[in-house]
Amino acid sequence: MTTYRASMDDKVRPVSANRKRLRKQLPNYLFVIPHYLFFAVFLLYPIFRGIQISLYDWKIMLQDQKFIGLANYQALTKDMIFRETLGNTVYFTVLTVGINVVLALLVATALKQNFRGSHFLRVLFYAPAILSVSVLGIIGIRIWDTQLGIVNYFLTTLLGLPRISWLGNPSLVIPSLALTTVWWTFGFPMLVFLAGLQSIPEALYEAAKIDGAGRLQTFRHITIPLIMPTMLFVVVTQFISHMQVFAQPYIITAGGPGNASRTAVMYLYETAWKFFRFGYASAISVVLAGIMIIVTIFLFSVLRSRVEY
Amino acid sequence: MTSSITETAVANLDATKNKTRVRPKSLKRTLLMWLLFLPLVFVVIVPIIYMVSMAFTLESNQLNFPIEWIPQPPTLSNFTHIFADTTLPIVRWFANSLIVSIVGTLFIVFLSTLSGYAFARLEFPFKNLLFSLLIFSLMIPAAITLIPVFLLLRDFTLLNTYQAIWLPAAASVLGIFLMRQHFYAIPAEIEDAARIDGAGRFRIYWQICLPMVRGSMVAIFIFSFLLLWNDLFWPLIVLSERSMLTLPVGLLVIQQGSYIQRGLAFAGAFIASVPVLIFYAIFQRKIIAGIVTTGMAGQ
Repeated sequence: MTTYRASMDDKVRPVSANRKRLRKQLPNYLFVIPHYLFFAVFLLYPIFRGIQISLYDWKIMLQDQKFIGLANYQALTKDMIFRETLGNTVYFTVLTVGINVVLALLVATALKQNFRGSHFLRVLFYAPAILSVSVLGIIGIRIWDTQLGIVNYFLTTLLGLPRISWLGNPSLVIPSLALTTVWWTFGFPMLVFLAGLQSIPEALYEAAKIDGAGRLQTFRHITIPLIMPTMLFVVVTQFISHMQVFAQPYIITAGGPGNASRTAVMYLYETAWKFFRFGYASAISVVLAGIMIIVTIFLFSVLRSRVEY
Repeated sequence: MTSSITETAVANLDATKNKTRVRPKSLKRTLLMWLLFLPLVFVVIVPIIYMVSMAFTLESNQLNFPIEWIPQPPTLSNFTHIFADTTLPIVRWFANSLIVSIVGTLFIVFLSTLSGYAFARLEFPFKNLLFSLLIFSLMIPAAITLIPVFLLLRDFTLLNTYQAIWLPAAASVLGIFLMRQHFYAIPAEIEDAARIDGAGRFRIYWQICLPMVRGSMVAIFIFSFLLLWNDLFWPLIVLSERSMLTLPVGLLVIQQGSYIQRGLAFAGAFIASVPVLIFYAIFQRKIIAGIVTTGMAGQ
């Protein structure tokens, strides 16, 4: 009998048979080793290495790095810029994820209806996501420009409103960046919601119709509960990706005005690659990762409890 | 459970196409929906039109207001400038992007099928532990690995090389989950039959199973290619030599140049995005299915 298949019976065998089985199984490692080499060197090891570096006063040119324990973390608790960038990041993430989820779910619900051009609209709405963030940045600068921008163009010429300084106003800059990001990214959650909606059995909707349920009631009592697993997936993946926002503020506002749109990953980037303080930057990344993991677990437990299978 | 949701969901993405033939669309609903979607269509399209329009607008007219949606006169001068400027080797950047994206993507696709096959169909010691580590890595935000990987590449003197991009990319784990799911779906009898005919495990993988998951391979290819092609952050960290830059980093060089070159920036953006958008328009069905299947594999 061949012994390298997964469907093995797990009866206790004599030692020689075990050894024989092991010998037959060993070549199977050839399938996983190629990827695992890359994985171990470029993903697994760096995770632990990152934590280790954060305990050092790591300077890029030095041969021997100085171990300073938790000093980087202590400094972080007093670092006002870090606190500000973290606040900006959370604000940006809440806005972006919130708008993305609501917009994507609404659009997906509407696109699920069968009408001429619904497929075309689906393709169109995903199109911005195909663009590089650099292209987004180049366009984004001109979308929000006070004098020449597209938004102010429509505000002044169509609505006759005064110009608004979107990127120069500390309280408008993050919402502006969030809207830019929504424009760029809402296509993916929309497609995922659409896939989730289409897997809800049509019979449920027909039953609700027979029972005399209105559109809103159907949406509230059938769509929402059944879409919760998809919702969980979308919220978690969106949260993880937008918490690490870097390029949009880096290109469009360079973190300004002041630090009003500087994000945590921007601060990490500048600490490491402008000021070469790798230990401190690693501590930033560990704290950021820690916060993200805790929130992810929290989201799982909150949304899981509302998932109805 | 989740895997079956993903699969039926993606199958359903295309199902609307068939439904249309059964139930004719009502004209009233079509009009209503388009009316409803018109503002969103407008918001999605206008910035792209603006980019195209500015790419063909003279540098001296870039600051005209109100916006000239149709350039007066339309010009190719931004493009001729960009191609003539030896400090902005945009053709080289385009080639760099293409090389690292294709090499990285081929590695991801090939390694994902190998590992996915092993985790789905083969038995070996510590299999569960090895697989759990892959899942564990999914939960760790990428931010934490940036500095260690950068230092590693520096120690190997690989900064400013193509390897600096595709080596870390090859460690990607998302494709493995998708491949594993799809290898699971292949009936065991097919493999048994091949084994009775005397095929070894590598032959079964290569000649029997791999052709059956071709669709997922295309999906992972599309997903990974777009990710690598559009990435800015990692190339920005590991590439600094002008001739080695990828297109997204190159665009920043144009945009943040020492003198203001708005027209050039838009021409660069046009060169970077129009081929991808045309490619997307042609293969939209496959691309959308690929993005949804791969993107949801982690679920």
